Amino acid sequence: MRYLPLIWAAVMRKPTRAILTLLSVTVAFTLFGLMIGLNATFDMVAEKARADRIFTWPRFGGNGVPVAVARQVAAIPGVKAVTAMNFLPGYVQDPKNQVFVLMVDQNVASVFGDYGVSPEQWNMVLKDRTGIVMSRIQAQRWNKKIGDTFTMVSKQIKRADGKTGWDFKVLAIVDDIPQAGNGFIFGNYDYIDKAKPLADQGKVNEVDILADDPASSAAVAERIDRKFANSATPMQTITEKLARSGNDFGGLDIKKITRGVALAGMFMVLFLTGNGIAESVRERFAEFATLKTIGFSDRAVTIMVVLESALPCILGAALGVGIAAVLARQIPKLMPSGFGMPLPTMSPMVLVWAAASAFLVALLSAALPILRLRQMDIASALSGRT
Amino acid sequence: MNILRQIGIVSLINFRSIRLRLWRSLVIVVGMACVIGVLLSMLSLTDGMLAAYMKTGDPGRALVVSTGSQSEGNSSIARDKARLIMDAPGIAKAPDGSPLADPGINSGVPVYRLNGRQAYNTLRGFGPKGVMLRPEFHMVSGRMFRSGMRELIVGVSAKTQFKGMNVGDKVILPDGEWPIVGSYTTGDLLDGQLIGDTETVMKAIRRPAYNSVLVRLASPQSFPAFKGALTTNPALAVDAMLQTEWYKKISEGFSTFFTVVAYGIGIIMAVGALFGCFNTMYAAVAARGREIATLRAIGYSAFPVAISVLLEAAVLSVTGALIGAGIAWALYDGVVGSFGASVFKLTVSPALIGMALLWAVAVAVLGGLFPSIRAARRPVVEALRAT
Repeated sequence: MRYLPLIWAAVMRKPTRAILTLLSVTVAFTLFGLMIGLNATFDMVAEKARADRIFTWPRFGGNGVPVAVARQVAAIPGVKAVTAMNFLPGYVQDPKNQVFVLMVDQNVASVFGDYGVSPEQWNMVLKDRTGIVMSRIQAQRWNKKIGDTFTMVSKQIKRADGKTGWDFKVLAIVDDIPQAGNGFIFGNYDYIDKAKPLADQGKVNEVDILADDPASSAAVAERIDRKFANSATPMQTITEKLARSGNDFGGLDIKKITRGVALAGMFMVLFLTGNGIAESVRERFAEFATLKTIGFSDRAVTIMVVLESALPCILGAALGVGIAAVLARQIPKLMPSGFGMPLPTMSPMVLVWAAASAFLVALLSAALPILRLRQMDIASALSGRT
Repeated sequence: MNILRQIGIVSLINFRSIRLRLWRSLVIVVGMACVIGVLLSMLSLTDGMLAAYMKTGDPGRALVVSTGSQSEGNSSIARDKARLIMDAPGIAKAPDGSPLADPGINSGVPVYRLNGRQAYNTLRGFGPKGVMLRPEFHMVSGRMFRSGMRELIVGVSAKTQFKGMNVGDKVILPDGEWPIVGSYTTGDLLDGQLIGDTETVMKAIRRPAYNSVLVRLASPQSFPAFKGALTTNPALAVDAMLQTEWYKKISEGFSTFFTVVAYGIGIIMAVGALFGCFNTMYAAVAARGREIATLRAIGYSAFPVAISVLLEAAVLSVTGALIGAGIAWALYDGVVGSFGASVFKLTVSPALIGMALLWAVAVAVLGGLFPSIRAARRPVVEALRAT
């Protein structure tokens, strides 16, 4: 620590250079934080995914399957609880503002008890046909608070009265969950069902299941698929664990992409910091010779150079990851409303990776200058001949 | 002395001395290479996907979907309505005098990607006019499916993304598997898809209604009449669009999303590179202090000096951008990729590379501006005295 004043003096010798280097490193680590933070979110979602929850939906699209399918699923061995839902896709005011409401039935709490909606809140929605519960991301996007009216248009769902508008009342606003990056809105199944023409009533778009035993949920999923395979309503079934594992986004390997981008950012600053420290050492070659002459060991000089190189890296990493954390919260506002994009989270692992990368960049940057300092010929350096 | 001549001479002296500042100059080159490499690699996906969508559309064809549909899969057209649509004016005639139109079906088929993950591919139905409507369609191997038979043909690119997409493989559909009997190419999005006989597919997946109707227009001028006849018919609730318009519309969502992400990342990286550029150019100006002062002393004006600094930044930045574009091009141009059910070739187009060069110039101008002003403004005497 006693070298600190020396290092500070070295860094501040050219304040413009120091500040620009710091800014550059900060920007690179902002990107790093966003990218690796996204990976952290994928990992967290995979970890939080419940092994005992299973989703099943019609294999070949259409307007949904008869609600009887849910009852048949409930009778399959290994199934503990079943809930059915309908989808209400549409938009708010302009088709650009896509919105999606999950219309749930009275059993929703037994399958989605972990979604941060309290039993009382579920009850409010189930008792009030036009009631909805919104997560904060959605509430913020549509600028709604409890008690407000929420109006949307759906061209896809035909109403018996021929209207396209749907009016809701916001009954509760709850925290978001990592597995729903775009937030969520839950409404009442009866509202959508009874609004449809008679021929379309009694259909469901998805059946969600809780298995007795997480270990056997894959087998239960297979049983469901097999039961309906040759029926009029073949189903496609997947456990939540499998659906949320990995980092597949429409076939793109997100982790590969984010790592590539983060690496490119690091490479960019490595060149910058490496040059900066090399130049700084070159300019002060004679000074280092003096330090060595008055008894500073190679080790002491090495530590000084490494610290000088590490200062902007560590500081920049801390600032950058901090900015990334702030930016991450703004992402839902910047994205088109229909896209569920997981938000980067600055988990402890992200901080560890950022710190490790900062040290690595600092060490790599300092390597060549240190080598030169170790091999320096003090006499000629003092006379300014190198 | 003529100002252009001055700029030429000062810049020449400047570039000859770049060697002395090689490592520092490389900061700009490497920085821009990283920015543009990342940006173009990401945009190659959007670019390729958009190109494939646009190619699939033919302005000589019109697509009819139910009102407000965002995809063919979400659209529904009952059989009697399809007949009304095909009777509308403005549709080209087949040699036998019947309208050159084909009501089609479009369904997701659960498949596995080569990496084992669940995904959907698109299963399309062709009716009797399906091939006649699409001159771009050619069989590549095997044979065409027979109408009324539970068999499929597959596009040539499907097997590069999904499992079980070769001739001879079987696809799981309700009530038993369907064999793939042939492969085809259209040179567009259909190359990643599966095709079967419309009526047979509809029966299998229990669809009472078609998804859409594709028609060949009698001439480009006949579209308004065709559209007008459909939209004024009270028995129909449909949208009619030129096929090119349709693909533009359905590609908007994802292309906006990917473009926002790619440019977001690109801009963050460019800001990082900009600070690097600043840094390098300030150092370069400092290193050339004496030289610049000498030039000023013997009568060169400040402007050429400033320009030479900007030019140096631009040359380094553009070099970096070209390297980055080259890397992105070598890695991704022409590679077959997929997003969702769409299979297409990634492209790093000349337009993208042109855009990259503009970015490079912008970074150089922004990053070189203040250093160039400093170079031009520095008092001559002070600079000459400095060591």
